[in-house]
Amino acid sequence: MTKANTVKRLALGVALGLMGSVAIASAQETIKLGLSAPLSGGGAIWGKGSVFMCNRAASEINEAGGVKVGDTSYNFECVAYDNKYNAAEGTKVAQTLLNREGVKFIGGSLGTAPVKAMQSLTERQGVLLFTTAWGSSIKGPKYPLTFTQMNTPFEILPNLIPYVSEAHPEAKTLAMLNPNDASGQETEEVANKVWQDTGIEILTSDFYERGTTEFQPIATRLAALDPDIIDLGGSPPADAGAVFRELDALGWDGVKVVEVGTGADALKATGGDAVEGVYMGAAVSFAGDDISDHQREVNEEAKADIGESLNAIHIGFYDSVYALKAAMEKAQSVDPKEVAEVMPDVTFRTFYGSEIGFYGVDSYGSKQQMQLPVIVTQIQDGELVELDRVVPSGK
Amino acid sequence: MQIAIQLILTSLQIGAVYILFSLGLTIIFGVMRIVNFAHGHLFAVSALVVATVVSWLAARGFPVLPAYLLAVVAGVAVSMALGYVMYVFGFKYFQRDMVGSFILSIGLVLLLDGILLEIFGGAVRPVPEILPGNAEILGASVTIQRLFLCAMAILITAILYWALTKTKLGKALRAVSLDHEAAMLQGVPYNRMALAGFMIAAALAALAGALIAPISIVTPVIGADYLIKGFIAVIVGGLGSIPGAILGALFVAAIETFGGFYLDPTSATIAIFVLVIVVLLVRPKGLLGHG
Amino acid sequence: MGENLKLPYWFFGIALVLGATLLVSDPYVASVVNIVSIAALIAVSLRFVMLIGELNFATAAFVGIGAYTAGSAITILEWPFLVALVLGGIVAALVSIVFGYITLRTKGPYFLLIGFAFTEAVRIVYSKSMVLGGNSGMVGIFPPIAFDPWMPTFVMAVVALMIFGLYLLERSDFGKILTAIRDNEDVARTVGLNILFVKIACFAIASFAAGMAGSLHAVTNNVISPGDFSFLLAAFALAYVKVGGEDNIVGPLVGAVLLVVLGSYALGLGGHEHIFYGAAVILAVLLMPEGITGLLRRGRDRLMGKGKRHAA
Repeated sequence: MTKANTVKRLALGVALGLMGSVAIASAQETIKLGLSAPLSGGGAIWGKGSVFMCNRAASEINEAGGVKVGDTSYNFECVAYDNKYNAAEGTKVAQTLLNREGVKFIGGSLGTAPVKAMQSLTERQGVLLFTTAWGSSIKGPKYPLTFTQMNTPFEILPNLIPYVSEAHPEAKTLAMLNPNDASGQETEEVANKVWQDTGIEILTSDFYERGTTEFQPIATRLAALDPDIIDLGGSPPADAGAVFRELDALGWDGVKVVEVGTGADALKATGGDAVEGVYMGAAVSFAGDDISDHQREVNEEAKADIGESLNAIHIGFYDSVYALKAAMEKAQSVDPKEVAEVMPDVTFRTFYGSEIGFYGVDSYGSKQQMQLPVIVTQIQDGELVELDRVVPSGK
Repeated sequence: MQIAIQLILTSLQIGAVYILFSLGLTIIFGVMRIVNFAHGHLFAVSALVVATVVSWLAARGFPVLPAYLLAVVAGVAVSMALGYVMYVFGFKYFQRDMVGSFILSIGLVLLLDGILLEIFGGAVRPVPEILPGNAEILGASVTIQRLFLCAMAILITAILYWALTKTKLGKALRAVSLDHEAAMLQGVPYNRMALAGFMIAAALAALAGALIAPISIVTPVIGADYLIKGFIAVIVGGLGSIPGAILGALFVAAIETFGGFYLDPTSATIAIFVLVIVVLLVRPKGLLGHG
Repeated sequence: MGENLKLPYWFFGIALVLGATLLVSDPYVASVVNIVSIAALIAVSLRFVMLIGELNFATAAFVGIGAYTAGSAITILEWPFLVALVLGGIVAALVSIVFGYITLRTKGPYFLLIGFAFTEAVRIVYSKSMVLGGNSGMVGIFPPIAFDPWMPTFVMAVVALMIFGLYLLERSDFGKILTAIRDNEDVARTVGLNILFVKIACFAIASFAAGMAGSLHAVTNNVISPGDFSFLLAAFALAYVKVGGEDNIVGPLVGAVLLVVLGSYALGLGGHEHIFYGAAVILAVLLMPEGITGLLRRGRDRLMGKGKRHAA
């Protein structure tokens, strides 16, 4: 009995000690930024790059003296958990971040289902949430603490689709293919409308299961319809590349679009030469002359770390950290509600290089969307080339 | 007509890989009566090693075809070594214990998922085109790489079939899978047969992975899609039956192709699952299952 | 009946855990307690079908059906909370009767793999149903506000009731028939039992429990998505059963508590979680073939020198 008591006391002591060390850590003025992203399975590449970019932004800010609120300066620390792309794990991650780690700011979250699970906790517990999730149902005046850290189909498509259609006036018919997941379903909804508004006839709009590795049957179907344009919408680049390769083997040649395509590397890895001419709306080219040294350097580091060039998702996790810094300094507070209140009106320097703020009253009813440039890129001679950069207007 | 030929050819091309995959599953089940969910990882390891080695050699000026052949040797070797480790330290102790072996294989799936992601990263591994160009068959267009894959799959299946029916080892393996106790009474060394069966299956998965690498999406999770299809093929065909596995693989490939063409890919996936249930309703042991 | 049921232990144990949940005030601990309770119920449901010698991978599908039923009843139909909760179990049981009628004619690996296929097929159906939220998931499945502080106790109470019920069934004559079928189906048939009927009954009871676990999952998680109910759910449940020990109903409980607590620690390992969890499962099956309870029993038997004493 006494032995058990001793053990218990020891355990209590250790626990108190741990709590004490946490208290000391917070006295050293650290703000934890929680991240919920897939770190295993098919989405791991996005999650790992996102963690990398959060850490990168945090260390830049910390080295430059941290976040200055009153007389104290705070350092950022990124804490990432694996949400496995589903709601159940997303809830566990949310519980762990909010209620075990005591996180007050979510620096970024990836994957619609886990983000919705996260949001149902953050809004209730008064935690500020940054997310890359797209659905319009995730934003709006009902969710005052939620902000979007990357362009969504609502921003990209109205700029990308007219550009493509003007470049190819002869194209009249279109076939669409999307993954049967949240991003595919959401992209398809917006794309369907915008293409029709542009006057293009949609021959078919199909879905495939995420994780498919064999695209020959669906390519046969698409090629048989012989559309002028094939739009792979929200397909991950590797899948899109595989589809284009099969289409190429079947002799189809037309206008190729991957609306929210995030990068050329994976597209080329599976598509080879067949991806020549693909238009994308969420990729970032690091090849041109107007790329800054900083952008190039971070991209090289990221490539070494994650094996792929940076894309719009990763960059969102960088920008949110700077947005948080700007908002904290403007509000002169580290209370999430006060920070969220000033967030719509702050400006900050994005990774893309310009000074931007938030907008979205027209689409969502409130300013919760980063006013990021929409970059239209195309693969030309195997390289990703930036064709156009639109800074969206509107409130 | 043109479309029909194209679709039949597509079914055969897809089916070729499913055949190699499901033959392995059915042999392991036949000999050891275990269900190995980690089989897909043997396939993935081989594909990943091939992709890595080809790129590494190609970057050092090797011509692409010899680079690929060397990579295939490396991929199959690594994958079979992994299979050997799996057997000697794991499945050996779970012969004819379906539940135990299954849970062990789930543990291996999780462990290998994590390890492969650590080693190879999540990014897609590019594999250069090994045999460029297209061929026309009866008016339908097929890439040379796919044709090569099909030819190899048929060749491997034929060799396996011959080995199982004509060689001493093959006959012993079949005897064990029909009735292992009777086979042991006849002097067949069961443990050696189990190891042989497991390694043959590992080799089949490794070869399939090496062959598919140039035409598929090579990531650490590549095995999952094939694993599900492979298992469906062997249930439909009858677990433990070699002709059943071949038939089942072609059956799954045909539904995937025709369903994907006339409906859409997601409906085709559901159709595959529904048809499995229908087949089992009529024949609870699969089309060619016995006992 | 009655004398060998160890009822005092059960009542004491249930009272103890329920009392303990009343002390939980930290929301993180509350969430872990909920996950543990639900995992334990799923594991016990899986083990119940193992009594007839079958590995029921469709468990994951029935948890999902329960969750989506309860979720729809609460968010779309706006039915009362408790009705929705029980409805999850009932719908799962009804579906399982139809599914079982077709598939329980098969056995062993066939039954296992069909369950696996069924789980994946049902998941695709959710993802295609926009009314269920598609792949983004179904949101806003909240219990009434008054329940909020009592959730861990409530969840634990429902789970304890279900597990106790399954225990009584296992110890009843019905339970003896189930194990008779596992040991030798033909013998059981010769005494005039309708084997298929008994199997379906066993399957439906287990699926009711799985469906209830799903209902509880939906109302404690508030958000559900098709990805939550993949075959991995059943794989983890099997791990709880195997690690804890399958001979005894206490085994899955021990396994669930241990692995879920380890798992929530491993969550902090990020991408390494799979390595940690996978290694734990492999070591457990290699080193403790009878699970933790088997190990403890052997240890106790050796201590007491009772040789082959049969543990309950």
